[in-house]
Amino acid sequence: MSIQYKTIAELRSMLDSKAISSKEIVEETYKLIDENNDLNAFITLNKEAAIAKSIEIENNPVKSALHGIPIAQKDLFCTKNLRTTCGSNILSNFIPPYSATVIENLENAGCISVGKTNMDEFAMGSSNETSFFGGVRNPWGQNLVPGGSSGGSASAVAAGLVPAATGTDTGGSIRQPASLCGITGLKPTYGRISRWGMIAFASSLDQAGPMARTAEDCAIMLNEMCSHDAKDTTSLSEDVPNFTKDLDSSIEGLKIGIVKEFDMSKLDTDVVSVFEESKKHYESLGAEFIEVSLPNISLSVPAYYVVAPAECSSNLSRFDGVKFGHRSKDPINLEELYIKTRSEGFGDEVKRRILIGSYVLSAGFYDAYYKKAQQVRRLIKNDFDSAFKKVDVIMSPTTRGAAFETGSKGSDPIQMYLEDLFTIPANLAGLPAMSLPNGMVNNKPIGLQLIGNFLDEKKILQVAHSFQKSTDWHLKTPKGTKLS
Amino acid sequence: MDKKTVANIAYLSRLKLNSDNEEKITSDLENIIKFVDQLDDVNVENIAPLTSPLEKTAKTRSDEVTAKNRKDVFLERAPKSNEDYFLVPRVVE
Amino acid sequence: MSWETVIGLEIHAQLSTKSKLFSGGSTGFGAEPNTHVDLIDMGLPGVLPVANKEAFLKAIRFGLATNAVINQTSTFDRKNYFYPDLPKGYQITQMALPIVGEGSIKIEVDGVEKIINITRAHLEEDAGKSIHDLFEGETGVDLNRAGTPLLEIVSEPEISNAKEAVAYFKAIRQLVTFLDICDGNMAQGSMRCDVNVSIKKEGEEKLGTRAEIKNINSFKFIERAINHEVERQIRIIESGGSVVQETRLYDSVKNETRSMRSKEEANDYRYFPCPDLLPVVITDEELNNIRSNLPELPEQKEKRYVTDNSLDIAEAKIIASSKTMANMFEEACLKTDDSKLVANWLVGDVSALLNKDGIDIDESKLTPNNFAKMVERISDDTISGKIAKSVLEEVWDSGNDVDEIIQNKGLVQIQDESLLEEIGQKIIDANPKQVEAFKNGKDRLFGFFVGQVMKETQGKASPKSVNEILRKLLS
Repeated sequence: MSIQYKTIAELRSMLDSKAISSKEIVEETYKLIDENNDLNAFITLNKEAAIAKSIEIENNPVKSALHGIPIAQKDLFCTKNLRTTCGSNILSNFIPPYSATVIENLENAGCISVGKTNMDEFAMGSSNETSFFGGVRNPWGQNLVPGGSSGGSASAVAAGLVPAATGTDTGGSIRQPASLCGITGLKPTYGRISRWGMIAFASSLDQAGPMARTAEDCAIMLNEMCSHDAKDTTSLSEDVPNFTKDLDSSIEGLKIGIVKEFDMSKLDTDVVSVFEESKKHYESLGAEFIEVSLPNISLSVPAYYVVAPAECSSNLSRFDGVKFGHRSKDPINLEELYIKTRSEGFGDEVKRRILIGSYVLSAGFYDAYYKKAQQVRRLIKNDFDSAFKKVDVIMSPTTRGAAFETGSKGSDPIQMYLEDLFTIPANLAGLPAMSLPNGMVNNKPIGLQLIGNFLDEKKILQVAHSFQKSTDWHLKTPKGTKLS
Repeated sequence: MDKKTVANIAYLSRLKLNSDNEEKITSDLENIIKFVDQLDDVNVENIAPLTSPLEKTAKTRSDEVTAKNRKDVFLERAPKSNEDYFLVPRVVE
Repeated sequence: MSWETVIGLEIHAQLSTKSKLFSGGSTGFGAEPNTHVDLIDMGLPGVLPVANKEAFLKAIRFGLATNAVINQTSTFDRKNYFYPDLPKGYQITQMALPIVGEGSIKIEVDGVEKIINITRAHLEEDAGKSIHDLFEGETGVDLNRAGTPLLEIVSEPEISNAKEAVAYFKAIRQLVTFLDICDGNMAQGSMRCDVNVSIKKEGEEKLGTRAEIKNINSFKFIERAINHEVERQIRIIESGGSVVQETRLYDSVKNETRSMRSKEEANDYRYFPCPDLLPVVITDEELNNIRSNLPELPEQKEKRYVTDNSLDIAEAKIIASSKTMANMFEEACLKTDDSKLVANWLVGDVSALLNKDGIDIDESKLTPNNFAKMVERISDDTISGKIAKSVLEEVWDSGNDVDEIIQNKGLVQIQDESLLEEIGQKIIDANPKQVEAFKNGKDRLFGFFVGQVMKETQGKASPKSVNEILRKLLS
């Protein structure tokens, strides 16, 4: 019985009924990964340790739904004694001496980490084309990008190699690849998941999250990933709810907000019609659509491209060839050590963002750029707060279009930045948001985004689950539609 | 974004642009700054900057030594070190 | 041409917490390199800082003792620059909203009092150490010190000369040691200061360009560095040049300051709020708690020694001037009622020894415990005052325990009455002429008899007992 394209829930059922063992699942996983090598979804595989664990936990009590389930981990999470590169040359030889809290949480729940997935370098990108380890292929098409920065995770799940993977989302890096790869991905409220051990890109925006085939699986992952962590003082102290409970709640009477300022006329007609279909479907489930205004939303992308580079320019200063990671050969003095190491170790997109970041923080520009952007950020957050007084969730397309060809956004970085038009606002405001597949455009999947109020992951999961109970977009695979 | 400005911020960031990418990156930076200049016209009077999406204050820790000696673990990951120190080219003050 | 000097001091005091400002790494001094380093101190990818509450409490003590504004909500910023002993490539400090705001402290120079205003005192993490001269062609980096909490105390530019600068530094040092927030150990680098010096024409309002002399850690060097720098600046201006705003290092061997050969001048620190640290809030309750538990300060001790221990003001001042000496006084007073005796020893013999060796009491081998024991042995007549002098010298040199010294050298004074009577009688019998002369009024001869008994007992007889016994025998 093939495990390809199975969900966590399906594998759990197979394991519980002893139809298969964890070891068999893990072995087949590696076979699938090997057969699909051309996807380049993984940077490092953990075969020996994974198989050993799958044998060891066979007789352990089942503590969670993830017990014995293979999960792929984005290479941005530190994994103890397992290489962690962040998709960068500067960490191509880095072996962390500790594991991220998220990794520990998942592994304590019994999951088997099968390997580290490919990603845009330091999470900067929307196509997985900036990785030092080469681009990732979208299983839906030969030359298609999977999206980014969690491109490897998205590709691995979309190709059915693993039922779920971890991703991270700073400006859309879980949701956008989920949309382009036809899977479900969720970014929780800022602070839900500990950032201890997550290599920092933009500290006030980064959040880890699950990427899986269904909203239900995302809820299962979320239950284990979330925790209050004393080692991360930006992690929430609020209790972690049980996200799988009440998933089936009816959405009768749900108020869904449509953002007035998201100009749909700029989108492809195919994309618009897919979105309109989804709206009709939600209406048939008893939801009501209400227009909401987020007057400052158009400033999201420029504000983001001040704040995120500023924070990253500082976060990446620790990569200096002194204590760990890549170091240039035979530097003649300290200056050369720094400059050569960093210039050799970082790719062009990372360099661009570091330079922008240093610029907007520099003397004379701080007020005009960084401070201003943080003030605009508050305006955007205030807009959301007002909107959520009128509606329960906000809906939009996740991306402007379906997966594009590698190299097609080539020379203009701003074109790439606009990929995150719909996803960035939720990061700025720290709100939970997710993407679920809702249609096809030119035989390529596309996604629907749901944004929830602060701490309201349960609501958006319910809304997503409702859709998935009554549609089959999430069952589609590059090889055809799964039998549910 | 003239050459001098780019050279200054490149130095502050300890990055060197080489002849391959210098021109492209400089023009990219110009375009990006022009793009973010959209923020210029926004009225933010009386708006406090948002540093973190969390409206809360810090949890602190008590004054206890919890770290063990991990010198070997750290030094073995260093690109250049001897048995006691991380090593860099001689710094002259 | 009459020149005025304008000086401001930035003092970095290492707070005496057990662990670091943002991690559980130990702050202990003198450990093997890189053994007190936590994951967070290393700046490894993915690590996050967690603020040490105790550092805030200690900083607030300083604020309260200098009548300063306390910012119950304070925030952290990042100061970005590259240096090998700065693992993250930025230092976490408090630029925008420091824990302590404006305050002041009183100094005294040549009997004249002056108030120096303090602009702010903020928390920041210390960097590690770069060791330049140990390895050929290389610099070694030790991160033990990285992350240690510092309180940076910034004075207003109100100091007018080197003497005032030293007095200010001393006053701050005295305060932080009495507050028990810093051990004040300059040799170990617990307190360092950067001095900003500029000159201007007398009466001129506008301040001149200042030079910053970094990292001076001795009173002597502060004075020399300032004096040298002032002369240097005067020379430059008088010969038509202008002072460059720069960072300089003081070379104690050549007694000169020289420009730091780095591009630090071009450094733009790009301060911005640290997104990993939320604002820290100290509640009213916590603040009041600190206030009511503030340790006794020098002025308060002085007054108490005068009223409760009957010391005179000069003695009280000397003893209260140093925490160690004050501790010695107070501990010794627990072992004997005779506080005057204790004070005499401290102000007399101990101070003389300090002067002779040119050291501070913290640098001596005399511990409060040992000193208290010595005074106790005088009080309980184990040794005489005279013997005590030699015991003190022995302790001073060796640091050995007082009781051990007394035992090993057989210094226990002889108080055995029958023995002393025997010896006394022997002396009297052997010197009939002097006895007669004494009995006929030559009182001064009493000393002769005392001397003879002392000689007979190698100085070990208790002078008190000898006096009593001889008086009895000669009456």
